[in-house]
Amino acid sequence: MSAFKGLLSLMLLTLTPLAHAFDLQQLSDQLAKPAVIHGAFVQEKHLRSLPQPLTSKGNFVLAKDSGLLWLLETPLKQDYRITAAGIARRATDGGWQMLPGKSAGAEQNRLFLAVLQGDSSGLQRDFDVQLSGDAQAWQLTLVPRSMLLKQVFNQININGGALVQRIELLETQGDSTLLKMIDSSSDKPLSDPERADFAD
Amino acid sequence: MPIERLLPRLFLIALLAVLALAGWQWRHGAPLSANLMELVPGSTPDALELRAEQRIQEPMNREMLVLVGHADPAEAVELAQQLSEKWQASGLFEKVQWNVQADLPALREQLLRGRLAMLPPRDRTDLIEHPEAFIQQRVQSLFDPFGGFSLVPSQEDWLGLTGRIQNGQPMHGSVQLDIGSGALIAKADGKSWVLLRARTRADAFDMRLPLHVSALLDEARQQASARDAQLLAASGLLYAAHGQQQATREITWVGGGATLGILLLLLLAFKRWRVLLAFVPVMVGMLFGATACVALFGKMHVMTLVLGSSLIGVAVDYPLHYLSKSWSLKPWRSWPALRLTLSGLSLSLATSCIGYLALAWTPFPALTQIAVFSAAGLVGAYLTAVCLLPALLNGVELRPAQWPLKIAEALMNARARLLTRVGTPVLLGALLIFCAAGLLQLTTKNDIRQWIAAPQSLTDEARSLARITGYQPTSQFFLVRGADQQQLLERQTALSQRLDQLVTQGKLQGYLSLNQLVATPAEQQAARAALDTLPAHWQPLLALGVPPEVLDNELANLRALPVQGIDDVLAGPLGEPWRLLWLGSNDQGVAGIVSLQGLNDAALLRAQAQDLPGVQLVDRLGDLNKVFAATQISAAELKLASCVLIVLLLILPFGLRGALRVIVLPLLAAVCSLASLGWLGQPLTLFSLFGLLLVTAISVDYAILMREQIGGAAVSLLGTLLAAATTWLSFGLLAISSTPAVSNFGLSVSLGLAFSFILAPWAGRQHGARS
Repeated sequence: MSAFKGLLSLMLLTLTPLAHAFDLQQLSDQLAKPAVIHGAFVQEKHLRSLPQPLTSKGNFVLAKDSGLLWLLETPLKQDYRITAAGIARRATDGGWQMLPGKSAGAEQNRLFLAVLQGDSSGLQRDFDVQLSGDAQAWQLTLVPRSMLLKQVFNQININGGALVQRIELLETQGDSTLLKMIDSSSDKPLSDPERADFAD
Repeated sequence: MPIERLLPRLFLIALLAVLALAGWQWRHGAPLSANLMELVPGSTPDALELRAEQRIQEPMNREMLVLVGHADPAEAVELAQQLSEKWQASGLFEKVQWNVQADLPALREQLLRGRLAMLPPRDRTDLIEHPEAFIQQRVQSLFDPFGGFSLVPSQEDWLGLTGRIQNGQPMHGSVQLDIGSGALIAKADGKSWVLLRARTRADAFDMRLPLHVSALLDEARQQASARDAQLLAASGLLYAAHGQQQATREITWVGGGATLGILLLLLLAFKRWRVLLAFVPVMVGMLFGATACVALFGKMHVMTLVLGSSLIGVAVDYPLHYLSKSWSLKPWRSWPALRLTLSGLSLSLATSCIGYLALAWTPFPALTQIAVFSAAGLVGAYLTAVCLLPALLNGVELRPAQWPLKIAEALMNARARLLTRVGTPVLLGALLIFCAAGLLQLTTKNDIRQWIAAPQSLTDEARSLARITGYQPTSQFFLVRGADQQQLLERQTALSQRLDQLVTQGKLQGYLSLNQLVATPAEQQAARAALDTLPAHWQPLLALGVPPEVLDNELANLRALPVQGIDDVLAGPLGEPWRLLWLGSNDQGVAGIVSLQGLNDAALLRAQAQDLPGVQLVDRLGDLNKVFAATQISAAELKLASCVLIVLLLILPFGLRGALRVIVLPLLAAVCSLASLGWLGQPLTLFSLFGLLLVTAISVDYAILMREQIGGAAVSLLGTLLAAATTWLSFGLLAISSTPAVSNFGLSVSLGLAFSFILAPWAGRQHGARS
């Protein structure tokens, strides 16, 4: 037994550096690798007073150089776009309509993009960031630093492997939002319509 | 002679009393002020307008806006934080704020309570007219991942009214809340700029405060540049600090220069050290002037001091009156010389005082102060010259240098030679042609900016700050009155509709009006009534699984919300930006301010108020410029009135013809100065006119000297020359002032003095070669 114990501690000793080896920088590099990610999402809003969550579904396109297309399918169809210029919503005529810059909202979207794109430097400024797991299965825990954010969020949990798979926002008021990214893949480049959507 | 012993003693007692009074006045430090607005006419008899103006000005005078810029936002935030901690510790500021410390529970509470009262107009219309779409939009917003976080959780506000109120808040320029640090950040020129607001403890025009603040800022600038950061600052305080430094510099130059010049002149002309005692009347005059000014106005403005320092040159004329008799009176003794010139001295005091006090009747507090300062100063100098100085100079036998007399004689001879060749009428004709041609070229210019010598760097910085933050308050604003809150808010709504158009056209950056924050009681009632139509459109919400009883409960809560007045809404944290705008109720009803951002076109703004009852544009600077122009006319009238007074006074010693001659010469000198301004391409400003008003009074003195001709024409001319030289030394130096108003004043007085001196010999009883 003692030999086994000794072996175990030896293994642990050698493993520990390995476990620590997956750090924020590597996660950033890993998430920043794909140029374009296509996928589906399910968003569940858990409100304290409702027995079942408000669930919405759709698809998304995250392009490293351009931004994010968020195409809500159910229960209602609505397309959103986040770019460096701000947030736009697809109007009934098919063109994009910029939403007036709401300071708090704009900031949240910056966080949103930072999370999806794995920009941990952008996150570390505002959150205490803790990373666990390895490259194939990791969890990032974000606890707000500032008084202002603490009054809104308790914690944000992000899970993933090669790509982000799950984002959970725990609000101080007891509500929470769970965002699941399904079937994400980084194989396809931007299609022409998508390119057009980012372009105008 | 008993009177020659009694007078100095009585005077010394009086002087001690004035000194004691002055000491008491200065017990808390210098009773000085640098507030520009104290100098301009209070053209608003309306108390409410005045109060509104103070409200608008107060933040400009007490607050300093600073942008801390750095390429790295984190560095900028850190620097701003350090700076604000340091400044807070300095004790100069009531509050230094670099981040938003939002009290979210209080915000939530206010949003919930104000769900009907604070609902923006467009959302209220939607609720009343399109309840179905209203519910649809709410459902949509529940699924919108990018709607921003609502401060109030969904289940406390199923209709999403609080979110609509949040979104309806006017934008604060291009400054964004950095949610991590709570800092307000703007991005421009490749830098992140953190906004810092510092509010001083006392009013900005506590004398030392602006200088302290300015010093603190300079120190911070150095620290910032050591860390590759840049500071931009804007505040009325900085202008005040600059104004004070400049005033100090100019008082030193003008006062010091005039003093040195005059002392040198006295020494060169009279060759006796004790003749420097002639400066005692000047110092007593300054003491009297300052004491009278503080006694009457509570404090003295720095501009009064700058302009008042020119009094040195006028006050020294009194002792010169009898000192210059030493060229003819041999041996010269102080008391006999005084007795000989006493009537001329007294006349001169009376005419100068009339001239100065005429300034007091203009609607300019600045000039009233200068008039009081100068008149009291002259009385002080006169009394010293009459009561004390002869005693001090008792026993001194003056043997003045001969060169000044030679100059005077040469001048008289030159004049005589000229007159033999060209007669006075021809000269007069030529002079009139010169005047007419000059007057034709004269332009007028009246602008409040002449009062300010703001350095380019300060205005540039303020402009950059406005560009980066989009925060660009204008001094114009609308004052809206109503019988009650309902009417006030209705009227503000009517105005808002017009202003919104200007905003859409990009002509106006933004505005703040109470009706943006709170709906009228009638509108609140209408929104409440519209709640009853909602249950017919519940379906989309029910489909999400919201239980019907929850929605019923929600409606009951909303119906129970009380109608909120302006005061209720302003009390909450969201009311903060509007608090200054509410003037509350008065005898006529209630009133509020609509403040503007980024538009200075008064004509365009005035057009917005047209046909809107109870709405008035308050444009202080524009009104002031108008008052300036109007005052020019009244100043000219005052000038004539003062001349009439002087003529009446002079009839006694000189008879009507003599009096008229004595007054016509200064008037002619004034016209010549006006013409010279025209020839020089200098505009006629209110200040040049005031300068001429003053010069008339002073040059009457020269005409009197030449008229009396005690000791012969050459000696009289010498007296005039000395008096003109000393006066010119002090007023001429004003022309170097960097404040356009002051330098304009100095220029016109200098010109006036020169012409008065040239024309003075014609005041003699028999002009021409016979002198």
